[in-house]
Amino acid sequence: MSSFGFGLMTAAVLAIATVGFTMQFAVTNVLNLAYGSVMINSAFVAYYFNKHGMNAWITLIFGVILGAVVSWALNKFVFTPFQRRNLAPITVVIVALGVDLIGTFGLQAIVGGGYVSFSVSSGREFHILGMFLSGMQLIILAICAVVLTLVHWLLKYTRLGKAMRATSANPNLARNSGVKTQRVISTTWLISGALCGLAGTIFAMNTGVFEATSAQLYIVMLLAAMFLGGPGEPYGAMFGALTIGLATEISAAYISPQYKEVVAFVVLLGMLTFRPYGIFGSEKTN
Amino acid sequence: MSVELSQAGQVLTATNLSAGYDGRAIVQGVNVEATPGNVVSIVGPNGSGKSTLLKSLVGVVPVLDGTVAIGTRDITNFAPEKVATLGVGYVPQIDDVFPPLTVKENLEIGGFLLPRHDVASRIEAVLEFFPRLKEMMTRKAGKLSGGERKMLAMGRVLMLAPSVLVLDEPTANLAPMVATQLLEEYIRGFADHGSTVLLVEQRAKAALRISDWTCVLGGGRVVLAGAPKDLEQDPVFVESFLGGGAARR
Ligand SMILES: Nc1ncnc2c1ncn2[C@@H]1O[C@H](COP(=O)(O)OP(=O)(O)OP(=O)(O)O)[C@@H](O)[C@H]1O
Ligand SMILES: [Mg+2]
Repeated sequence: MSSFGFGLMTAAVLAIATVGFTMQFAVTNVLNLAYGSVMINSAFVAYYFNKHGMNAWITLIFGVILGAVVSWALNKFVFTPFQRRNLAPITVVIVALGVDLIGTFGLQAIVGGGYVSFSVSSGREFHILGMFLSGMQLIILAICAVVLTLVHWLLKYTRLGKAMRATSANPNLARNSGVKTQRVISTTWLISGALCGLAGTIFAMNTGVFEATSAQLYIVMLLAAMFLGGPGEPYGAMFGALTIGLATEISAAYISPQYKEVVAFVVLLGMLTFRPYGIFGSEKTN
Repeated sequence: MSVELSQAGQVLTATNLSAGYDGRAIVQGVNVEATPGNVVSIVGPNGSGKSTLLKSLVGVVPVLDGTVAIGTRDITNFAPEKVATLGVGYVPQIDDVFPPLTVKENLEIGGFLLPRHDVASRIEAVLEFFPRLKEMMTRKAGKLSGGERKMLAMGRVLMLAPSVLVLDEPTANLAPMVATQLLEEYIRGFADHGSTVLLVEQRAKAALRISDWTCVLGGGRVVLAGAPKDLEQDPVFVESFLGGGAARR
């Protein structure tokens, strides 16, 4: 049952991360393989403030801001210029991979190779539905619930959210309707980047100890969760994250925690083979 | 009608227009003028550049030479979102709705440029025009039938009460009766209402019936143009579009 609790925590963090990741893919057409490195860089910025005495929960704000700004800048100065040149889509994927390596090892060069951890009280233990969850874990779950609700509200009820979905579904028609899709795309990078920064920071808090390369394999979890729910489907992403989170942690209890990403990867391969559009996705998605 | 669906038109002019993809001209040296109160139709065989011509007018395909103007204003190579602000409503031949969005959301995006508080009343006006859409407001556009989908596509552009309607084969895949109704009631109706209508239509006969002027496109050029009653007398036109072997009804 404790692995179920771990799984729930992993799923919560993964849900926030995957929603941002899939949003980037759906609206801006970039499969941003540098997502993991932006996550861990955000975590280190938050950690820096925490190390200098700021309350860990307040440092989340800095993680969020860094994630948003870096992602926006990546789009503006790296991905968009490459997309404009009308190269094969794979080019942008390879560029993103390069950015990921630079982001991760650049960070390592700055902060060094050692493990660090947030100083944050984990609070008292709560016994809920057969699981033992710390106060810290409950806060993370609450953040996740709030953020996912906000994303739902954004996509479903706001003008911006509808413009984002329209841009994702049919960019030319969105423009013919007067939607400034370039602006929508920039805003999407800000929002999804904020989710990325938030996910990175709570990922680091939840893991306990982390280092510059800690999120290097996280992209496998993201891809697995995204494909499980259907690429570009935010609600699918939530479902995918829950499944992958639970599957990896429960299997970790039985096999070995080292194989978490392998389990995720096996799920991903299975999805690509049997349901490439995900459980909720349809061929129309892209 | 309590609320005007479309507005009195503006003149849409293409002068010596060349346009195409990757710098290669598909449409070459085309002159077309669509005026308020009139339906101007463009007919021609598959691949003759009809869609490319319309796309270049609304900013989706780059203009390589010549000009596009609304009234006296040069709008050559304006971005599509800019063209939309000038009262031009464009319904593409394919990909004419947002499939994952509901009917209501499609209409809302159609009214994206409207002041927020006008959107609901505009939707009401459009629904009065296409009552069948009323029952399917919460259905995803991707799940509509061909005819319902075309109504939604038209409804989307009507949200902004356009003064110029640019329609690319609005009757494709529609049952003959629905197609006739769409052309003779709705589309002709917009023009009679004072709007400018530029229409691409595969069914030459049906196009002539509602048009004031018709251009025949072949190989990206205007090969023939005239009033319907004159074209009906033109042996070449009759041979290739109204009766002959390769003709489409
Ligand atoms: N995106 C594109 N890139 C390159 N060439 C294109 C593109 N779209 C169309 N073409 C080419 O341009 C030519 C004209 O196509 P267009 O769609 O304008 O024809 P059309 O008259 O609308 O045909 P239809 O009656 O089948 O709709 C065709 O040869 C087509 O292959
Ligand atoms: Mg066409």
